[in-house]
Amino acid sequence: MTVSTPPATAVRLQRLERIWKESPGVLGWLTTVDHKRIGILYFFTSLFFFGAGGVEALLIRTQLIGPNQSTLDPATFNEMMSSHGTTMIFFFVVPMSLGAFGNYLIPLMIGARDMAFPRLNALSYWIYLCAGVFLYVGVFSGNGPSAGWFDYVPLASKAYSPGPGIDFYALSLLFVSISTTAGAINAIVTIFKLRAPGMSLNRMPLFCFAFLAVSFALIFALPALSTALILLELERLLGFHFFIPAAGGAPILWQNLFWIFGHPEVYIIILPAFGIATSIIPTFTRRKMVAWPLVALAEILVAFLGFGVWAHHMFAVGLASATAIYFAAASLIIVIPSGIQLFSWIATIVTGTPRFQTPLLWIVGFIVLFIMGGLSGVMFAAIPFDQQTTDTYFVVAHFHYVIFGAAVFPLLGGMYYWFPKVTGRMYHEGWGKASFWLTFVGTNITFFPMHILGLDGMPRRNYTYGPEMGWTGLNLIETLGAYLLALGLLAVFVNLAVSLFRGARAGNDPFGGDTLEWSTTSPPPEYNYAVIPKVSSPYAMWDTEDREEDARNLERGRKTLERGHETAASTAVDADWDEVLEMPSHSAWPPLVALAMAGVFTMILLQQWLAAAVFVGVLLCTVAGFHLKEPEEA
Amino acid sequence: MLVVAGVVFLGAVAMLVVGWVRRETPGLPFLGENEKLNTGLVVLFGMAIPIVILVALFIVSDLVLLNETDAPQASSTAMTVTVIGHQWFWQVRYEGEGAETANEIHIPVRTPVNLVVRSADVIHSFWVPELNRKIDTIPGQANSIELYAEEAGVYRGQCAEFCGLQHAHMAFRVYAEPMPKFKAWLANIRKPAREPATPQAQLGQRYFMEDGCAACHAIAGTEARGTVGPNLTHLAGRETIAADTLANTPEDLFRWVQNPQAIKPGAKMPGLGLGPEQFHAIVAYLTELR
Amino acid sequence: MSSVPRSMEAEGPGPVRAVDRERRTQASGWWGAALLIATEATLFACLIATYFYLRFRTSEWPLGGIEKPSVTLPLVFTGMLVASSIPMFFSVRAAKGGSVRAAWWLLLLATVVQATYLGLQIHLMVDDLHSFSPQANAYGSIYYTLITVHHAHVAVGLAIDAWLLWKLARGITNYRLIGLRVAAFYWYFVGAAAIAVVLTQLYPSL
Ligand code: HEA
Ligand code: HEA
Ligand code: HEC
Ligand code: CUA
Ligand SMILES: [Cu+2]
Repeated sequence: MTVSTPPATAVRLQRLERIWKESPGVLGWLTTVDHKRIGILYFFTSLFFFGAGGVEALLIRTQLIGPNQSTLDPATFNEMMSSHGTTMIFFFVVPMSLGAFGNYLIPLMIGARDMAFPRLNALSYWIYLCAGVFLYVGVFSGNGPSAGWFDYVPLASKAYSPGPGIDFYALSLLFVSISTTAGAINAIVTIFKLRAPGMSLNRMPLFCFAFLAVSFALIFALPALSTALILLELERLLGFHFFIPAAGGAPILWQNLFWIFGHPEVYIIILPAFGIATSIIPTFTRRKMVAWPLVALAEILVAFLGFGVWAHHMFAVGLASATAIYFAAASLIIVIPSGIQLFSWIATIVTGTPRFQTPLLWIVGFIVLFIMGGLSGVMFAAIPFDQQTTDTYFVVAHFHYVIFGAAVFPLLGGMYYWFPKVTGRMYHEGWGKASFWLTFVGTNITFFPMHILGLDGMPRRNYTYGPEMGWTGLNLIETLGAYLLALGLLAVFVNLAVSLFRGARAGNDPFGGDTLEWSTTSPPPEYNYAVIPKVSSPYAMWDTEDREEDARNLERGRKTLERGHETAASTAVDADWDEVLEMPSHSAWPPLVALAMAGVFTMILLQQWLAAAVFVGVLLCTVAGFHLKEPEEA
Repeated sequence: MLVVAGVVFLGAVAMLVVGWVRRETPGLPFLGENEKLNTGLVVLFGMAIPIVILVALFIVSDLVLLNETDAPQASSTAMTVTVIGHQWFWQVRYEGEGAETANEIHIPVRTPVNLVVRSADVIHSFWVPELNRKIDTIPGQANSIELYAEEAGVYRGQCAEFCGLQHAHMAFRVYAEPMPKFKAWLANIRKPAREPATPQAQLGQRYFMEDGCAACHAIAGTEARGTVGPNLTHLAGRETIAADTLANTPEDLFRWVQNPQAIKPGAKMPGLGLGPEQFHAIVAYLTELR
Repeated sequence: MSSVPRSMEAEGPGPVRAVDRERRTQASGWWGAALLIATEATLFACLIATYFYLRFRTSEWPLGGIEKPSVTLPLVFTGMLVASSIPMFFSVRAAKGGSVRAAWWLLLLATVVQATYLGLQIHLMVDDLHSFSPQANAYGSIYYTLITVHHAHVAVGLAIDAWLLWKLARGITNYRLIGLRVAAFYWYFVGAAAIAVVLTQLYPSL
């Protein structure tokens, strides 16, 4: 898009450019507080962990390609299986959705110039990176976790897992929880405070509702995980007793704490995907979402109800009937908000003017896979059925349909969708479609037969099986499917990587998008918007008069906030303009704080208490350094 | 349930197909951009219909069927069997009978048995798909279910909760037999082990007692009282060894005792590094333990 | 738009007061603190739930013949900590009203009370350690864990106090006022948590 720029505007843009500039080169990336750059860092880091988790998955599948294989010995298999789950859940999906997509897009969608706490944002990233490295030091040194991703005690207790693998697991998850909590707080405050004046809550894109719900869920779910992990480490490292019956402990305590976190976590994983779906669908159907308020409500409800169903993961531990029935009923109720959203997407597609370009294809794939996975989830809420299928491949099938199919597909669709915005270039449409079909077919070939195997009694987490069980054929098909699936993903990333250099120029708004981010340049400038945008509906980009007014404002220098690193803050619900905030600029403290924390965790792992205390001191110093400079002194 | 799921799935996909067919054309004939009608659709398909299905599912499965899988009432069962999960085998005790065995559970057919499960180490899960639900064995807690076989036969079961290295090789068998046959079996199991008859077996017994086996295994009627491994008093009466991993033939038995780690890497039984003659003798002894 | 304050630039009592008056929503820092407190409160809830979960698995409590905790001193100390919220509250008030000196002294008073509390508490804990250890059994473990987590929160609060005392001594800015308000908010939370923790801790004797 070429618009002739009046001279006054050019001067303003230059000034903003100068104010918001960060250091060049590597130093710039180390000290950045720009939410877009942090988003990109998150993207590549979590992509790396996706690759790691994917390689682990392929090793698992290769081991299971036939009966009595020995690609992996049992110990390695268990490490791969546990690292796969842990990596994918904690170091891939959540950082990818909240860290990469959330970070990059939330400020853009609400018309802000950065997150509410830019340096805390950087700190979250660096902590995440350190925690991931921490875990993988364990995995690569042969000390990966090996008690499964939910790490049940007493298997994870010192007596049955004497090596440091579980400590790597527990400490790295505690570590990354700090990052996730900070990220969630940041997202909530950003959404509440920094929305462009005029964007009252009922005009906020549904994408942001989803992320708001996720962030709240994280804030209340993570403490349960942290508690469990702290207790576990106290038991493992200092000989406390929480889980061992002989000393008055209880193994089921772990399961309760873990799943009080764990079930909300699965909705934390899926909600960003819902948010992405509700961004892509209106754009490609040229139609506003059907039942907008119901969808917003449903997104919040899912996050909320998710806290009441945890024991449906524990139907086989011998719960009292009444307890089990309550949790089954709660699990059924949670279907309703999912159903609302699902039919709202379908209705929007059917009654709109759908263009099945690559991003929408991924969303349609997502819808199909989500129904599959959701329906098997509902079956578990029939307690007798669960008691048969729990801990079999039926469960593995369920959660890969909902996690890989329903949570990762929209992430991939979102990568295509926002690729032009982030890079300024178009992806290759033909390859995009091909990569979708490869992945979609591969996914079904990989995960559908798992339903059958599960019903046929194949337990999960078995490093091998005998030829007499009759599971050989389906396992072979699954493994081949997994290779196909990997090929599909490879096609996605090759497409994007090649397009980064060769793609056609995209312009600001190649798809006729519905939300604000499409109004700025691709890639967006450091300050996102030269003018704080005017907003009067959730489909801000389709309100052409508002966008014209923005252009006039820029010419006249209204709402440009060009005195410093500034952005607008508004009231939480109605979004009336409340104050102008000076935002901190680049800082070297976040990576230093994260490093000091890594020191503390490493010393705890090594049980060097004195050194740990020293690192706590260092940490305090870095935190003080972090707060040395007040915004107005910038 | 599968049928209902199929209908729901196909219905929803059908709608998507409609969308595909009408791509690039705006709206549906009469629904179009009519917000009220569309919201109504969402409420109908997303809320009203699901509620009906869910309530039905809930009543059938969680209120009616659940009773059948519950722990049995104390008085409704004829006998109690305790199963204790170990890494990675099953210890089986017939309460009040003083009988103990491992990995192979015999029950009378058409008789409700109260099955109590416990754990000696980590959490396992007792599961015979054809007979009943799963039930976890949890340290410090006794769970129970009813084990009831309508027809005589051999039912395979396995550990369903991840319990470490050899979780994959922690299977077992349930033999449902007519009452007289069961009674005879139980009577035999209650007896102490018979004395070895052949010289080689006698030699084997000596090795067994002196070279370490007895530290872990119990053989009733001898000084072997170990509790780490399975009770071997009537080992030869079993069809499988090492938790349904090998057939109980002299050859496999030899392979097992000589080098268990090659068969179940990580298993809690070490290869004792004795010579082949000693192992042959031990096997000869073990095969006499009917 | 000219009426919208550039709040972060406010410096000195007058402008800071003006910003605080005109702002219609809480400052970002306050929101952040509120959310942090929400997640920390959940952490305490989980720990206390753990305590009672362990408690109701046995008939004997405390386990293993450990003596029941004595009630008076912990309650008195807790009262002291909760009371430190009062100077905190007035410190914020004074800072908002522009009397920076008063705010500083009130903050110092609160800090001294809080530090004393922590010292006395640690003293009590050391006494406890002489009679039973956290490794003894689940009761000992959850008892000390709960208390130590609480102490850690008090220690963090003291660090915040110290930082504010240092900053406020050099005048007030909008940023520092928000800091003070956040600190006060945090201490109200620590006070509430202290009540919950002490009631749990003393539960066997109540
Ligand atoms: C987000 C979550 C997530 C995702 C995406 C996946 C993805 C996959 N999972 Fe997994 N899985 C889990 C979460 C996930 N899984 C969990 C929680 C468990 C339970 C663990 C436990 O029991 O404790 C599990 C368990 C599990 C099992 C069962 C193990 C067992 O019970 O013994 C299997 C078996 O087939 C499996 C397979 C796969 C496969 C083939 C994929 C494929 O979809 C993977 C495909 C991905 C790739 C092939 C990577 C491609 C990436 C690139 C090409 C990027 C390029 C890289 C760079 C630029 C560096 N998974
Ligand atoms: C993204 C993650 C995600 C999502 C969204 C879900 C969604 C659901 N899950 Fe799933 N679940 C997992 C991830 C997820 N799950 C994981 C990772 C595990 C295994 C953990 C482990 O053991 O390693 C698991 C395990 C799991 C169990 C335990 C199984 C076991 O171990 O024994 C149960 C039991 O109730 C369950 C239930 C449900 C239900 C009821 C939903 C519902 O929310 C689904 C709702 C959606 C639909 C139903 C489809 C759309 C709606 C319609 C088409 C309307 C009409 C429908 C009807 C009338 C039925 N899940
Ligand atoms: C350190 C303990 C230990 C020692 C010593 C030991 N075993 Fe074992 N044994 C076990 C355990 C544990 C198992 C169960 C292994 C499994 O199935 O995972 C077992 C299983 C067996 C079995 C299979 C039993 C069944 O019912 O499936 C036989 C037979 C056996 N051992 C014989 C021997 C003999 C003979 C020796 C001496 C040469 C011996 N064991 C020494 C611990 C031990
Ligand atoms: Cu025992 Cu799995
Ligand atoms: Cu769940």
